[in-house]
Amino acid sequence: MIDFLDALLDPLRSGLGRRALGEVALLGALGGGLSFWVTSYRLSYAAESLAHGLLPGAVVAALVGVPVAAGAGAGVLLAALLVAAAARDERIGVEAATAVAVSGLLGLGALLALAPASPQRLEELLFGDPLSVTGADLALAGAAVVAAGAALTALHRPLAAVAFDREGARAAGLQPALVSAALLALVALSLAVAVRGLGNLLALAVLVGPAVAVRGHVRTPAGAVIGGAVVAVVAGLAGVALSFALSVATGASVALALCAAAVAGASLPALRPQRPRARPAAPAG
Amino acid sequence: MSETVVEADGLGAAYGGPPALSGVSFSLEPGQTLCVLGPNGGGKTTLFRVLAGDLEAQTGTARVDGRPAHLPQAERPRLDFPVSAFDVALMGSLAHGRWWLPPRGHERAAARRALKRVGLEASEHDRFGSLSGGQRQRVLLARALVQDARVLLLDEPLAGVDPASAERITALFAELRAEGRAVLVSTHDVDSARGFDRVLCLNRRQVAFGTPAETLGSDVLEATYGAEIVMLDDGRRAVTVQHHAPGEFHPPAAGRAAPGAPPDHR
Amino acid sequence: MRSFCIGKRLSRTILNYAPPLAAAPPSPLELVDLAFTRSALAELVLLAVAGGLLSGWIVLRRLAFFTHAAGTATFPGLVVAEAAGASPRLAALAVAGGYAGAVGHRPRRTGEGGDTTVALLLVVALAAGVVLAGDVFSSGAGVDSLLFGTLIGVEGGDLVVSSVVAALAVAATVLLGPVWAAAGFDPEAAQAAGVPVRRADLCLLALIAATVVAALPAVGALLVTSLLVVPAAAARLLCDRLSPLLAGAVAFALVQGVAGLYLALWLDVPPGPAVAAVGGLVFAAVACVHRPGRAA
Repeated sequence: MIDFLDALLDPLRSGLGRRALGEVALLGALGGGLSFWVTSYRLSYAAESLAHGLLPGAVVAALVGVPVAAGAGAGVLLAALLVAAAARDERIGVEAATAVAVSGLLGLGALLALAPASPQRLEELLFGDPLSVTGADLALAGAAVVAAGAALTALHRPLAAVAFDREGARAAGLQPALVSAALLALVALSLAVAVRGLGNLLALAVLVGPAVAVRGHVRTPAGAVIGGAVVAVVAGLAGVALSFALSVATGASVALALCAAAVAGASLPALRPQRPRARPAAPAG
Repeated sequence: MSETVVEADGLGAAYGGPPALSGVSFSLEPGQTLCVLGPNGGGKTTLFRVLAGDLEAQTGTARVDGRPAHLPQAERPRLDFPVSAFDVALMGSLAHGRWWLPPRGHERAAARRALKRVGLEASEHDRFGSLSGGQRQRVLLARALVQDARVLLLDEPLAGVDPASAERITALFAELRAEGRAVLVSTHDVDSARGFDRVLCLNRRQVAFGTPAETLGSDVLEATYGAEIVMLDDGRRAVTVQHHAPGEFHPPAAGRAAPGAPPDHR
Repeated sequence: MRSFCIGKRLSRTILNYAPPLAAAPPSPLELVDLAFTRSALAELVLLAVAGGLLSGWIVLRRLAFFTHAAGTATFPGLVVAEAAGASPRLAALAVAGGYAGAVGHRPRRTGEGGDTTVALLLVVALAAGVVLAGDVFSSGAGVDSLLFGTLIGVEGGDLVVSSVVAALAVAATVLLGPVWAAAGFDPEAAQAAGVPVRRADLCLLALIAATVVAALPAVGALLVTSLLVVPAAAARLLCDRLSPLLAGAVAFALVQGVAGLYLALWLDVPPGPAVAAVGGLVFAAVACVHRPGRAA
């Protein structure tokens, strides 16, 4: 038992372990903070599809030697354009059109990555590889967190107003389409960063899990955003520690830890008691 | 000629098919209240959506001064969203620009005042989704008050609302009128229309517009509601009947209430 | 300076890929000459029939996400079967069948809550599969073959399964097709008219699950939609009536399967990605040629 507990601290003892912890923490802050909005704006399916579809971009970046995040970002853009193009014809429906775009892109990405000429790196792109994170990756992730944090702070009130009542927000002078677009851009940014730590197949864990974990335990959108980030960081760090102690894949560990947090949060009764229900209307109103 | 804050001229709109609304022309000055009458599907909600900027006008023009506050008919806001009544009222201040800054002291004070006006200061911190239907309507009204709009579009604000809330809301119309705002209210309660400055009767097209005395005659009401109108007290009172099974309604004999048909008199 | 470096790296990458492409493409006869390619070809033809037919129903009844989820969910089952020495086919059938049963007995379209839950479950399935696979497979190749299919190793058993599934797909289309169409068009009216909508739909979901399981060895758990959704999506752009749509879907699926297999042989990659990439190209080609239309 002591050995196990000791092994949990292993990541702190090596440079690559510390970098893995840093990457996962930054990714948690970024994705966890966004996750409340991803679920409020009903973007789970879109995020999953974009995550799957970005693979060719990430593969090309890895082959050419540029940072994977840049290729992943371009991949998300390409995936979004193709899904939109495929969905133009209403006879097929958005769901099938998305499946077409995603399967084509996923196939193309795997084709490029599994060709004998390619170095075998597909596993890392699919399932993440926090252990090979470099200083440059950390810097990129850090910059992304700062940028997203600033954006989320500035956009906080419009995001809440549009999520609560889209038309009412428009009547009040906001532009819901722009707010949604800004959110999608932030999702794309977090997917680009997530490919390193979680891989494109598991990235959804950090974009959706934390929101599920805190739902029902927070009273305001701000609480959900901050709570989501905190839960994601804690779960992510725990995932890295467990992967070292149990000698299992790190990216998958982090994803499972995030999902476990989601299940735990959803199962627990509300941690903060809601205020007593409004009293029935008294005669004076 | 005094300024008008709402003006429509030959207004028409559709949802991609035949026109849901056509030939609407009216104007409203500050401090005037307008009651919009009409059957279900007659175009009341369509008109409000065009005036609020939700829907493009197909023909004619509509002009509204500033950004109107719009209270929709359907239960649109999400009930599971973690916001309190105070947070919702505060959303009205987004209309004043500078959305990237956190709410300032005077905006918070305005939200508090608005909640007090609608009688919900005790429920300030209750979650929006946990309030009753009538209370939610009042909170949305508070949001409209904070928005400080010159024009308010209220689509059936009294539908399904408990009597205490209804009283409060009706009293608010008079207050808003006194403040010089224009208030447009759609309703099924023909009787209450008599308390408004102007009445607009719609049945997919404009049937009449004018003062209650000019418009609330039996011929206008029958043209508006068709077989749905029931006249009582020798034509001095009228009730509309809302029916949900079109095949089952039997028109009443002239002047007498139809047996068994539930009058919708709020 | 930086762009010059990237340019150099890009050209070096392309040079790496050039030899396999520049080498003479294999003769199409190779598809039938070698034993293992014959098996793979037969498998893909059978899957094209089954997948093509079912893809029509999947697109019409809006079941694309269900199909993708069913395929992905089998991944950990396959890994566990490998570890336990059990039949992967049975494990996959248990998972896909269980999922079909769960979906069939609940109201669909539960909205965002449902979407979120299924998305998270798929992540758990993939992550759990990877963690378990670390113990089972010594290299990543095993996981690749489960996720993306494999050219070699299509055995007689797989061909039997695919034949059975293809036959079932044809029979079910003939027998239950009208019911599925009515249920898709107006479920309430169909149910009111006494049509056994619930049971027919359960059959559809079960058949999709069976076809997914049959397709796993050839195209892999992640790419089942390449044969089960894309063919009908492309055909739908051209056909407005049911029979031409189904026929067109089978035709496109055959093209995808054969061309994909050829490409996989040429480039020495697993067949799944090749079939999927060809499918994407086919759809794009059809979409460019045909003007977008309104919903029929």
